[in-house]
Amino acid sequence: MINLRNVRKFYGALEVIKGVDITVEDGEFAVFVGPSGCGKSTLLRMIAGLEGIDDGDLILNGKRINDVPPDKRGIAMVFQSYALYPHMTVAENIGFSLSLKKVPVAEINRQVGEVAEILQLTDYLDRRPAALSGGQRQRVAIGRAIIKKPSLILFDEPLSNLDSALRVQMRAELQRLHRELKATVVYVTHDQVEAMTMADRIVVLNKGIVAQSGHPMDLYHSPDNEFVATFIGSPKMNILPVMLSRPEAGRLRLENADGLSISLADGDANAATGEAKLGIRPEHLKVSQDGQGDFSAEVVIVERLGVETYLAVGSPKDPIVVRAEGDLTIRPGDRVSLTVDLSACHLFDSNGRVIRRPQTN
Amino acid sequence: MTDFALDKPGKSRRPDLMAYATLSLISAFCAVPFFWVLLASLDGNAQLFLSWPREWTLNNYVRVFAEEDGARWVFNSLFVVGSATLLVMVLAGLGGYALSRTRAWWKQPFLYAILLIRVLPPTALVVPLYKILLTLNNIEGNLVRMVIGGDHARAIMRWIGFIDGYLGLILVLATMQLPLALWIMKTFFDGLPRDYEEAAVMDGATMLQRIRRVLIPLALPGLAAAGLFAFISAWGDFLLPLILLSSPELQTLPLGLFRAFLRVNTIDYGFLAALAFIYLMPAVIAFGFARRFLVQTFSGGVKG
Repeated sequence: MINLRNVRKFYGALEVIKGVDITVEDGEFAVFVGPSGCGKSTLLRMIAGLEGIDDGDLILNGKRINDVPPDKRGIAMVFQSYALYPHMTVAENIGFSLSLKKVPVAEINRQVGEVAEILQLTDYLDRRPAALSGGQRQRVAIGRAIIKKPSLILFDEPLSNLDSALRVQMRAELQRLHRELKATVVYVTHDQVEAMTMADRIVVLNKGIVAQSGHPMDLYHSPDNEFVATFIGSPKMNILPVMLSRPEAGRLRLENADGLSISLADGDANAATGEAKLGIRPEHLKVSQDGQGDFSAEVVIVERLGVETYLAVGSPKDPIVVRAEGDLTIRPGDRVSLTVDLSACHLFDSNGRVIRRPQTN
Repeated sequence: MTDFALDKPGKSRRPDLMAYATLSLISAFCAVPFFWVLLASLDGNAQLFLSWPREWTLNNYVRVFAEEDGARWVFNSLFVVGSATLLVMVLAGLGGYALSRTRAWWKQPFLYAILLIRVLPPTALVVPLYKILLTLNNIEGNLVRMVIGGDHARAIMRWIGFIDGYLGLILVLATMQLPLALWIMKTFFDGLPRDYEEAAVMDGATMLQRIRRVLIPLALPGLAAAGLFAFISAWGDFLLPLILLSSPELQTLPLGLFRAFLRVNTIDYGFLAALAFIYLMPAVIAFGFARRFLVQTFSGGVKG
């Protein structure tokens, strides 16, 4: 189990990690995700020991390891560039950490053989990295990590160098490996699809703080704030400015300039009235052309994918995205009427904090 | 349409032919002196003008080593230039790494300042350089005589003297070559991801292990390129040995060649050509090695 307690990092006067608390349980596949510059890689390097920790505690299996040198932490890391030594063979690359420790050659060969077996690299042990495909290099990099039998493996955007087809394949492969090795993994990526598909736990980072941490589906269905709401899910959640009023106890009325007017149960019963933001995912807006919806808008862009159709409606600069099942024959310029799924509405205050989560009416 | 399509290759063939003809002419023009040197060195009766030898002989080469001090000149040249090259490679390797990794404010000014050494003609600095080296040499000479006594002082000063000694020439030659080598190595290390070192740190490599097992093997193409540049350039230097060396036993190849040319009696072209050919060889061989590393170093660095 790894614990980060109020961890901070400064570059000069600039605070890049602003008091982060994260817990990753044994055997968990945790993904740190966030836009570039959010501090996710810095955090990973702090766990690895490649960056110092200015404040707070880093605890691995009950032991504070802030000041333990990187190689004594029992942590292995797979680098974004893989960092395979071009002058060594696959076997030498995988066995490098053992040979530094002066482990006898026969023992190194045995362990390298075992690791190669798991990673299906047995036939490539005598090759140099330059003679391998992208996926094979990736596996060598993983081999170099797991031969150390680490209690934690760190991945720094490991799939960003691969083409998209290989990326999908490696995602499945990494999940298989994780199941087989039962290792604890911390994985950094800026790609929320990678995070959603692989993680047991997602930690969304934004500007050096944890925006939200939890199971992918919890983050998807019940985001704590506007940042997580729009970051998780593709296409991203629509955010509509609305005016909140309370015409009667226990009910909330939402209105905006486009003629939207809906009424929701005030589940938390404490939502303030006034300016707020309605968050609604593209799949929770229903298209009709009969004028019976909650509001209507002009279609700007139509993307027909066959099995589904994406519409961008409203202002061309900041459109609302709608996902509709099937192939719709709507053209840009048409007016459509949209119905909001009332059970899937998120409400955020003007600071982006959630004030009402989706619930049945 | 078909006519036009068929016509096109024919039209482009003539300019190609012209280009090849011109290039061949230029190549021949450049190659003639080398050819002359090779022919004349094997000619028993070489003349100033290029002619096919009537009698083939290796006698000219034999004379370089048997009658003259050729072997010593070759040794002096190889020793001085080789030592300077080795020094340049060590300093450029360490310095280039530091310059690549540091974020110090003086990095850019420093890099441009050292290029000045390369830009200024050494001839312009010969007098002050000689003066400084002479002062150092006198101080050093006095110290040596004090410690060891006058008997062996000259023998020692021949190795470690700043004037008329190997050390002085090695240091000056290395200084001349170091700026370019530093630039090459700095650029090379810039292209080498830090991930390699950090991966080694994670694997538990000490500083020495990182240098020996990761950095040196990775930097080898760059070091080879920097070293070969330094070697080729220092090998061709004539002015500095001429000024800094005076003892006959310290003569280098270019000086031997120069003095053989200046002899009062008639010029022995066969002998000169043989000496010149010997002088050419190391540079040509070095370039042959360099080509591979140059391509690697200047067209994309290390491929993982």
